[in-house]
Amino acid sequence: MPAREGTYGLLAEFDTPGDLVRAARRAHEDGWRRMDCFSPYPIEEVAEAMECTRNRVPLVTLVGGLLGCAAMFSFETWVSVIAYPLNIAGRPTYSWPAFIVPAYEWTILWAGLSAAFGLMALCKFPSLYHPLFNAPNFRKGATVDKFFLCLEALDPRFDLEGTRAYLETMGPLSVVEVPY
Amino acid sequence: MAHGFQKTLPADLGAPPFVEVWKKRAYMVCGVFLVIAAILAILDYAAGQNPWDHVLRAWLLGVMVTFGFSVGGLALLMVQYCSGGKWGLLLRRPLEAMSRTLPLVFLYWIVIALAMPKLYMWANHGLVDRAFRLGQITSWQVEAIDHAINFKRPMLNPTMFVAVSGMCFAIWWLYMWKLNSWAMQREADSPQSTPYWIRKFENWSGPGIVVYSVTMTAAAIYWVMSLDPTWFSTVYGLLFLVGQGYAVLALSIITAISLSKGEPFKTILRQTEQHDLGKLTFAFVMLNIYLAFGQFLIIWSGNLPEEINWYLDRIRGHWGIIITLDFIFHWVIPFTLLLSRDIKRNKKRLTRVCQFMIFAVAFNQFWLIEPNFKDAARNLHFSWGILEYAAVPTAMIAFWVAYFCLQLRRRPLVQVNDPHLKEILEPEHAHA
Repeated sequence: MPAREGTYGLLAEFDTPGDLVRAARRAHEDGWRRMDCFSPYPIEEVAEAMECTRNRVPLVTLVGGLLGCAAMFSFETWVSVIAYPLNIAGRPTYSWPAFIVPAYEWTILWAGLSAAFGLMALCKFPSLYHPLFNAPNFRKGATVDKFFLCLEALDPRFDLEGTRAYLETMGPLSVVEVPY
Repeated sequence: MAHGFQKTLPADLGAPPFVEVWKKRAYMVCGVFLVIAAILAILDYAAGQNPWDHVLRAWLLGVMVTFGFSVGGLALLMVQYCSGGKWGLLLRRPLEAMSRTLPLVFLYWIVIALAMPKLYMWANHGLVDRAFRLGQITSWQVEAIDHAINFKRPMLNPTMFVAVSGMCFAIWWLYMWKLNSWAMQREADSPQSTPYWIRKFENWSGPGIVVYSVTMTAAAIYWVMSLDPTWFSTVYGLLFLVGQGYAVLALSIITAISLSKGEPFKTILRQTEQHDLGKLTFAFVMLNIYLAFGQFLIIWSGNLPEEINWYLDRIRGHWGIIITLDFIFHWVIPFTLLLSRDIKRNKKRLTRVCQFMIFAVAFNQFWLIEPNFKDAARNLHFSWGILEYAAVPTAMIAFWVAYFCLQLRRRPLVQVNDPHLKEILEPEHAHA
């Protein structure tokens, strides 16, 4: 039976992180790709099970840091060399050792802000609506003590009856259909 | 849930037999480089130089590096007794083995004490006279040096040099002896007494770290900074201290990863702790450049004639090339490589980075030591002698490594009587 229009996916609820990890690993091995896991706290093993350990936050952070460094260093150079070429203790106007500290501070500031906002952007924040919140047990448990695996209807393997039976074999507390 | 999947320790906790192979290889490297050092000395002599000059300077570099491994190992041991953490449990025995090489470092140091008149201007005014006669320094500089030597006479004289260094060695010896013998007593004691031992180690290590910082500062000032009696910097001891942390962590990582090719480290070295050690090393890379650049920025800003010459001696006359390379070796390369999570988690690559870092520490010492001598200040030039800086310390470090391997073989590599041992035997992933 193909997915009904208006079905986001099937949500399986587990009692322990270990059950979730095993379920996610099996689903991924069986070829599922449109899937996601939800837990009250980060579980690295789940990310590994779904093979999504790579993300672009480090790259965003690096680029942000380098941009911050370049911005401050060139700003200082512009101020000291072009805008206000003052004679300070007979030093050359382009006295780079004095520029390092603010440039370094800006590297850290920009890297930090890029990491925070880059993470949000990559997580598609802020998201005002997500169909999963239509499932009452998700609302109750996902931030407290339950662990969820969602197989989405967009996956070509998805079949309302077949997938439900498949999820039931993993020993969940419940499997519910999530409407849009 | 998964806590039943504990790994078990192998029956034999001693160092694996291939440590003997390392020892043999270290002896061979030592022998080869001793021959190279001798050839270089002959070439230097044939070129009309006094070969002892550079041999002794290079010897001082070797002393500083091996001393860093030994006393730095002792310091890191004390730090981990205070801070705790699984990385500490992993490294406890290797760090103890490093600290037990102190007698060898002391023997190395005796050569410096005997060669004082060849190295230190305050011990032998003939060095100043010779430099002036050869036109390496001006009469104004002679005046400045004489003023500094006379002013610092109560501190910089041969008796004080030997007395202070001897006292420092005695203090390190006491800590080395206490921490090493208690570790064995603790192992033999019942598990119920563990809290008593943890407290005892903490109470000795906490003050020990302070004592170490003070004695380290004294040693760095006497052995290296006083090569140029006119200069002073309050952060100097701390710079050496951080350099020791940098080198010891690199050496510890190399040791742990190399040992993990066999039991028992194969069982207890997990990627998590390797990653943690990589991060800690990264912190030291940062701290090192922070202090080094801080010292430079302050002296550059002040631009005082008493201080700035120390840097000018090390920048002008082609020394700029060396300091640029030093910056790249000592900071840029380790920093950029250790940023990567993948490299920190990869045994082979992390080992390569750490080996390079130890080279960088020695290279930095070269930049610190050689320009103190007036024939080389602001005048980086080739002589056969300058190559001794590569040959002599390599031979000394190789011999040190052989001694270190001997110490590694002396004891089981894993501390069994520790409540945290269970955690280190857990599989990498706590779930599933």
